[in-house]
Amino acid sequence: MYKIIEHTADVGIEAYGKNLEEAFENAAKGMFAIITDGSKIDCKVKKKIELEKGDDEELLLVDWLSELLYIHDVENLVFGEFEVKLNDRLIGYACGEKYDRQKHGYGVEIKAVTYHMLEIKRNKKGVTIKVLFDI
Amino acid sequence: MWSGPLVKIGDYRYEIPKTYRGINGNLKMKVPALIYASDEMIPSIRKDNAPEQAANVATLPGIVGKSLAMPDIHWGYGFPIGGVAATDAEEGVISPGGVGFDINCGVRLVRTNLKVNDLDKNKIRQLVDELFKNVPSGVGSQARVRLNKAQLDDVLQMGARWAVENGYGWEEDLEYLEENGCMDVADASYVSERAKERGKSQVGSLGAGNHFLEIQRVAEVFDEEAAKVYGIEKDQIVVMIHTGSRGCGHQICSDYLRVLEQAVRKYNISLPDRQLACAPVKSKEGESYFKAMACAANFAWANRQMIVHWVRQSFENILKEDAEELGMHIVYDVCHNIAKFEEHVVDGEKKLVCVHRKGATRSFGPNRKEIPKKYQKIGQPVLIPGDMGTESYLLKGTEQSEEAFGSTCHGAGRVMSREQAKRRWSGREIARKLEQKGIYAHPASWVVMAEESPDAYKDVSQVVNATHGAGLSLKVAKMVPLGVVKG
Repeated sequence: MYKIIEHTADVGIEAYGKNLEEAFENAAKGMFAIITDGSKIDCKVKKKIELEKGDDEELLLVDWLSELLYIHDVENLVFGEFEVKLNDRLIGYACGEKYDRQKHGYGVEIKAVTYHMLEIKRNKKGVTIKVLFDI
Repeated sequence: MWSGPLVKIGDYRYEIPKTYRGINGNLKMKVPALIYASDEMIPSIRKDNAPEQAANVATLPGIVGKSLAMPDIHWGYGFPIGGVAATDAEEGVISPGGVGFDINCGVRLVRTNLKVNDLDKNKIRQLVDELFKNVPSGVGSQARVRLNKAQLDDVLQMGARWAVENGYGWEEDLEYLEENGCMDVADASYVSERAKERGKSQVGSLGAGNHFLEIQRVAEVFDEEAAKVYGIEKDQIVVMIHTGSRGCGHQICSDYLRVLEQAVRKYNISLPDRQLACAPVKSKEGESYFKAMACAANFAWANRQMIVHWVRQSFENILKEDAEELGMHIVYDVCHNIAKFEEHVVDGEKKLVCVHRKGATRSFGPNRKEIPKKYQKIGQPVLIPGDMGTESYLLKGTEQSEEAFGSTCHGAGRVMSREQAKRRWSGREIARKLEQKGIYAHPASWVVMAEESPDAYKDVSQVVNATHGAGLSLKVAKMVPLGVVKG
């Protein structure tokens, strides 16, 4: 689950999950809903993403989303399904297809994932992530 | 709502005094901050936290003069958009946040010999459709040429010259670009593989967001003498291009924000906001960023150069006339997201400083060696793109702008978030309204049309009038769109 949030001229997402992994997955879903118009993205191409974990979860979140943004930009892919496993490293899978303006519509070009208002919060229900994009 | 002190110190000039201690009460400004604005603009400027950001910038090590903000100031990443800060070239710092993600986002104006009567509605429509076909635009727009690694390195180091040497444009074009379309300091070995990967397929594309390509009519001339020198007259058809360094620049900024965050710790710099990450100008990190930033700037100049070439081709295809016969010369090309080393007078002394312009345009007056020979007596052309459907401006640089390190505004500051704009208007509705005003728009999508709807921005004329009033740049001509290609 995620929702799109606004901040002055920028846009971001608040994503939830029962744990950090699920919150990371939902944050990625939210990001691609901003890039496209939220239309369905079929799972045709699967990409594996591996990241060093370090001890800064916020940095890891920025890395995860930036990595997806990078693949999107270079390979012209959009993703709709994600799977994140966190152990001593982050191992993630993103599944999607070539971007097609007719099919996926058109949202906003995200220039970068920012550190502004970046937040990872935990409570009894799980994890909430807040992240803003530069658009 | 920002409620800090804004002291009127002159016409169009509001100062945040050095004594202001910030929202948290512990800010240590090294210099005052100065916001250029008309009285009417102040309430809207107070609406977001941008003035606080201008005050934050005033704490940077080595900042000289004042931390400045132009009338189109709005909240940005670390530095406000519309911010100008100069730091000492020896003792100061350089900051990617003072440049922005879209390095060398800028504007180019191409003139023609055509008058508004030469093009009927149908021809405008044909031209816009042809431009849309020839210039890749929209999210994930991929260029028509995919470069290999060596070619991309050349683009990063040669800028617009690379494009001209490869058949995109005319030799004379280079003379009418800021920096002649190339910062020599660029060194592609400081650019990550990822940034290069993103650049390879995007050089020669408009992109998305607020970027556009417009066929415009010169609606009003305010300064006949300057207009004449710039080759501009009333009712003339001109073309405006607004785009930047695409994913390549975004990646370079992201990469170096990370590097400079580490540098902040290494050099023990204390900052009120993490996003002001910076490094001493003379440090390894600072120099590396500058060399990489210059590569992105060069990428953007090559990008706009290729687009100009396709604009000329599109006109040739539709009008069956040579671009040269059509007089399609470049008036000028300005960048509005950049850091540069320039000589300015600080406290009565000529000094080399690192000028950060983030959403601000260079506005050099007469006799500066950096501007084309043809414009020496008048000052450089300053190009201010409006928001779609309203108007854009051609101004001239002034000596007065020296007080702002030779800078002026860059456009209409956004007053509404993109999501808000999207909800309030549908793109088709806006296209219909534009059509009623005689403007034909071909957006890559209707959503973007809604996001970039004119009402989401401050009135550009208000912004331009404030800089005119302050003397930072003076109005020469106003252009209105006839046809729009939206990213």
